[in-house]
Amino acid sequence: MTDNHNNDKSLPEQEGLDPTINQEEAPSENQPHSQAKSPDSNQKSDQNKEMDQTFDQETNNDLKEGNETQQQAPSPENPPNNSELPTQNQPTESDKEKAKKKAAAAAKAKAAAKAKAAEKATSAKAEKTEEEEELPSYNQPLLNKYVEVIKEHLGEDVIEEAYINRLSKHVPTIVTTPEAYYSVAQFLKYNEQLGFDFLSDYHGTDFETHYELYAHLYSLLNHQSIALKVKLDHEHPSIESLAQLWEGANWPECEAYDLLGIEFRNHPSLHRIFLGEEWKGYPLRKDYQPYDEEV
Amino acid sequence: MLRTEEMLLNVGPQHPSTHGVFRLVVKIDGEIIKEAKPVIGYLHRGTEKIAEDLQYTQIIPYTDRMDYLSAMTNNYVICHAVETMMDLEIPERAEYLRVLSMELGRVASHLVWFGTYLLDIGAVSPFLYAFREREAIINLLTELSGARLTFNYMRIGGVKWDAPEGWLDRVREFVPYMREQLQGYHDFVTGNEIFHQRVKGVGTYTRDDAINYSLSGANLRCTGVEWDLRKHESYSIYDRFQFDVITRQEGDALSRYHCRMGEIEESLKIIEQAVEQCPEEGKILAKVPKVVKPPKGEAYVRIESPRGEIGCYIASQGKKEPYRLKFRRPSFYNLQILPKLLEGENMANLITILGGVDIVLGEVDG
Amino acid sequence: MKGIGKGLAYTLKNMSKKQMTYTYPDEPIPMPDRFRGIQKFYPEKCIVCNQCSNICPTDCIDLTEKKHPDPSVKRKIIDTFDINFEICILCDLCTEVCPTEAIIMTNTFELAEYSRDELFKNLEWLDENEDNTREENKA
Repeated sequence: MTDNHNNDKSLPEQEGLDPTINQEEAPSENQPHSQAKSPDSNQKSDQNKEMDQTFDQETNNDLKEGNETQQQAPSPENPPNNSELPTQNQPTESDKEKAKKKAAAAAKAKAAAKAKAAEKATSAKAEKTEEEEELPSYNQPLLNKYVEVIKEHLGEDVIEEAYINRLSKHVPTIVTTPEAYYSVAQFLKYNEQLGFDFLSDYHGTDFETHYELYAHLYSLLNHQSIALKVKLDHEHPSIESLAQLWEGANWPECEAYDLLGIEFRNHPSLHRIFLGEEWKGYPLRKDYQPYDEEV
Repeated sequence: MLRTEEMLLNVGPQHPSTHGVFRLVVKIDGEIIKEAKPVIGYLHRGTEKIAEDLQYTQIIPYTDRMDYLSAMTNNYVICHAVETMMDLEIPERAEYLRVLSMELGRVASHLVWFGTYLLDIGAVSPFLYAFREREAIINLLTELSGARLTFNYMRIGGVKWDAPEGWLDRVREFVPYMREQLQGYHDFVTGNEIFHQRVKGVGTYTRDDAINYSLSGANLRCTGVEWDLRKHESYSIYDRFQFDVITRQEGDALSRYHCRMGEIEESLKIIEQAVEQCPEEGKILAKVPKVVKPPKGEAYVRIESPRGEIGCYIASQGKKEPYRLKFRRPSFYNLQILPKLLEGENMANLITILGGVDIVLGEVDG
Repeated sequence: MKGIGKGLAYTLKNMSKKQMTYTYPDEPIPMPDRFRGIQKFYPEKCIVCNQCSNICPTDCIDLTEKKHPDPSVKRKIIDTFDINFEICILCDLCTEVCPTEAIIMTNTFELAEYSRDELFKNLEWLDENEDNTREENKA
């Protein structure tokens, strides 16, 4: 038996709130009961609620900042943070009212424990990210170089966006226009300065407002990475195939065609690689309905 | 001159030498392959779709079932992706346990390849010896994680269990034993003339082809590209260990064999150093909230699995489930070069070439 | 020919070595303590918190609750508890989240049955599944 194991399985008498921590859907009857069992847990949970609010505000602000400064994918159907915001952001709400809302309390208890556990870590992290926000990333000069070279050769308007993705080990990320996608990819591969000859990953994502293709390129010459992205129209996603540049893009494109319904023009053999041609619908689309409900 | 006729031949989907459910439609003229068309998808379980409804912790057991011969690296890649997004610091001991389990898994995986590859090309007994050693590794990993293949051992921020008592000593004892056996394999197989005739110069491709087809792992290194993510894009604590990246220049099936056998040796070196450096005790799980919610955004990380570069892309909306999860599965990319390699080859070389690519169908189909 | 000779020498050398195979169905295989076999369930320990069924990646746990027979005790107790072993992947997450260790893994790994219906294990079966319970977990 390990320390960790024992910690995880602390008895309910010791931590009255524990059983309800993990789920919102838990039968709400459990909540008052377990609180009754350990009288001091009431106080505890109130404290935690406050902590939890501050914590959630912090993270929300954090996230917002991140979005404004960095990026990217306009969240289609609002992330949960926004929808939770109103309830979480009512510090004036009296404790009595809170007690009434049992289900909400359960959810908060969960968040409270989370806040408790992560409080130190997040506060430290929050400071850290703020610092980072001020400092340009260590990859910023590289990104600037790429953007400059591309603009010089292919024109000003081929790049929609260029930023450092701090979440992903600070990889320089470039979003191109669909029209210029192929030529940018070609340029990234064959330019002597850049030489991104290795296609590491290539896949698509349905962001509901648009499709996005993500290609992670690597230069075995310079040992540098770049993420090349392109946003596609949601109605008729269609783009020039990269399989002529990298043979390795052949199957990943078939995969994206099979599971997401993205059409690749001039692909040598575009087919439904996993599901077969008779399959109806594209499973990784967010609006996908399983064809046969029974299965 | 014998008159020959073109014919279509199905290899698989149920064929022992395809190592799973993989079908190859070959058009042959006499003994010569005119065209080969791989058909995959028989083991497609939609892991990425299932994962969109699951919490991050719940996805980990599913990753076990992709590359089932080295589930530890799969476990690690998703944990690593989430940890990168959340900027988590992993406790020392957990890192060492992770490295140890991943490297043991790598040795086991290469042993399976070694055994089954030789079985494919007609040598039966190496298979028995390889699985004997693999059994020792599996026993070690069972003691650690509680399962023989589907370990489900890693967690976001650390590992599930600490090492049981005496486990590290047993790992330490295993290293010299494995070295001795490895020497035995070299005596047994590496110098064998029949083996050389079967694999030397078969399935050759060039460095440019390998890069162009996005090959990775031993399939890339056998053409002289010195590229190992453990060394060149160091993750976890791999920068603390001394080991070499094994490369070969020839790019044929024999060079891939040498690369993989060399990698077993290098993995043993890492295991040896990790056992020595591993702290006596310490935390094995970082402070992680009970429900893991990475911040909004996306991340792509990649690590070195026995078969090559395994990557994980997460697009998160800040919820407890990923918005989109994508695995870059090395076998899927590596297999793409197969039709090119088979064209114009002798039918007898088909299995030699296919086996040399080292695929796991659970991973090809996702 | 030299290589073949070497190989034969290796084979001969191994013939005198210790036998590595198991005589499995005749002799049971001892599994280490952490082995993840079919679960054992303690109904008296269960506090019906639902965490196991929520964490289950394949949704194979079904449970219902009922009132405590003694009306003065407010606590709910477990009524039915079913695990569907057709889809259980023995991932151990249910035992990991259980706050009272009411559900634990045993070392029993033989799951073969003649009928699929028998793979639905109910509360009684899981309660009686005691053959291979680990020493440390014996209640």
